[in-house]
Amino acid sequence: MADWDRLRQAIIGGDAKTAGAVAHEAIAAGEEALPLIQKYMVPAMDEVGRLYECEEYFVPELLLSARAMKAALDPLRPLLAASGAKPAGKVVIGTVKGDLHDIGKNLVASLLEGGGFEVIDLGADVAPQKFIDAVETTGANIVALSALLTVTMPSIKTTIEALKAAGVRDRVKVMVGGAPVTQQFADQVGADAYSESATSAVTAARRLVAAG
Amino acid sequence: MRFQLISCEVLFREMCDAVARSPHQVDVQFLSKGLHDLGGKAMRLELQKRIDGAGPCDAVLMGYALCGNGLHGLTARNAPLVAPRAHDCIALLMGSRESYAQYFEENPGTYFRSTGWLERGKGLQQLSMGKNPVGTTLSELIERYGEENGRYLFDEFTRYQQHYRQLTYIESGLEPDASFERQARGEAEEKGWAFSKLRGSLHWLRQLVNGDWPEADFLVVPPGGTMVASFDERIIRIEENTA
Repeated sequence: MADWDRLRQAIIGGDAKTAGAVAHEAIAAGEEALPLIQKYMVPAMDEVGRLYECEEYFVPELLLSARAMKAALDPLRPLLAASGAKPAGKVVIGTVKGDLHDIGKNLVASLLEGGGFEVIDLGADVAPQKFIDAVETTGANIVALSALLTVTMPSIKTTIEALKAAGVRDRVKVMVGGAPVTQQFADQVGADAYSESATSAVTAARRLVAAG
Repeated sequence: MRFQLISCEVLFREMCDAVARSPHQVDVQFLSKGLHDLGGKAMRLELQKRIDGAGPCDAVLMGYALCGNGLHGLTARNAPLVAPRAHDCIALLMGSRESYAQYFEENPGTYFRSTGWLERGKGLQQLSMGKNPVGTTLSELIERYGEENGRYLFDEFTRYQQHYRQLTYIESGLEPDASFERQARGEAEEKGWAFSKLRGSLHWLRQLVNGDWPEADFLVVPPGGTMVASFDERIIRIEENTA
């Protein structure tokens, strides 16, 4: 395998144009998708996560890197599918009913996609029934719920209760997040995981899948 | 009695009016609205510093709502710590939790403005150090991240505007003229939202500085106790075994 470190650097630097171009170049050179992802792209996003944790990167840098990751991932997807590689998991994500904030949720969605998950993004102000329908139609194994206001946090609880009432709660793991959400709240509403930051959401999702 | 009021500047005019009418002596510290953008933890640390440094008094009053958990974990020192049981300042400006809950339910997608929201908190960027990029202009983003990336980020950070339908201006009745309302109308028009005006109530804020703290609407934390989010209709409670 040739050295495709430029791909890693483009993702860390948030350069979507270069990331996409290098991915195409690698495909043309006959590289396989999975090793490219594992050797260059996943480590790039890990580094981005580290830079964010130590406050060298902020939300804009995260968004740019996630976008560059996506630009590189898009041309690789058909190759992945053809080789029979399966996504790390399937996540239905949305901001709960009554809450219109979506920057954090969008960021988590991009980072999960970058982390190899298939993501079904339902948007903001999502009614509980929409989450239920999405789980049923897509067969997702994770539901990720976000709220940015303490006033809309009860909607997280209502959504989890609706999943239970519809009989789909046992089929999925539920993860919760958003600025005012805490571990204590996550425990109180019976979520399976809580993530304090967008970058740790990917780790949390991986852990949930591994735990089955 | 003598109170120390620590308040968000977003309530500046309303609080000044309430303090002027209070039967008690109230010392006031207004803190930057930008604190809110730093996130719950940083906000709490700063508020705790102010509580710790408050002079002798009969109670420390918080001119704050739970505000994204900014009050979560605050500890009362020598004097009781008093806070309204509200989710955010919009509820405080409306005068009750019930009015806010009802308005929120009946008017989904509403963005709120008041005098404080219109005139306070300009230039918050330095305080939040890029952590909260909302409000950054297109030219600032382009300068920092380049033309293409700057435009992309601007779209990401302004997309929320499409989710809102209405801008509601909460009028306190203290306004000197119609200039604030005009400003709010202008903003609604610019963003393509419907404009609505709502008469707020100063009742809750006046109760706070008057020392009238019914249990249903206020939490009074005794010295040594810690205030935490309760995640239920009480909104805040005293952490067990702390007081």
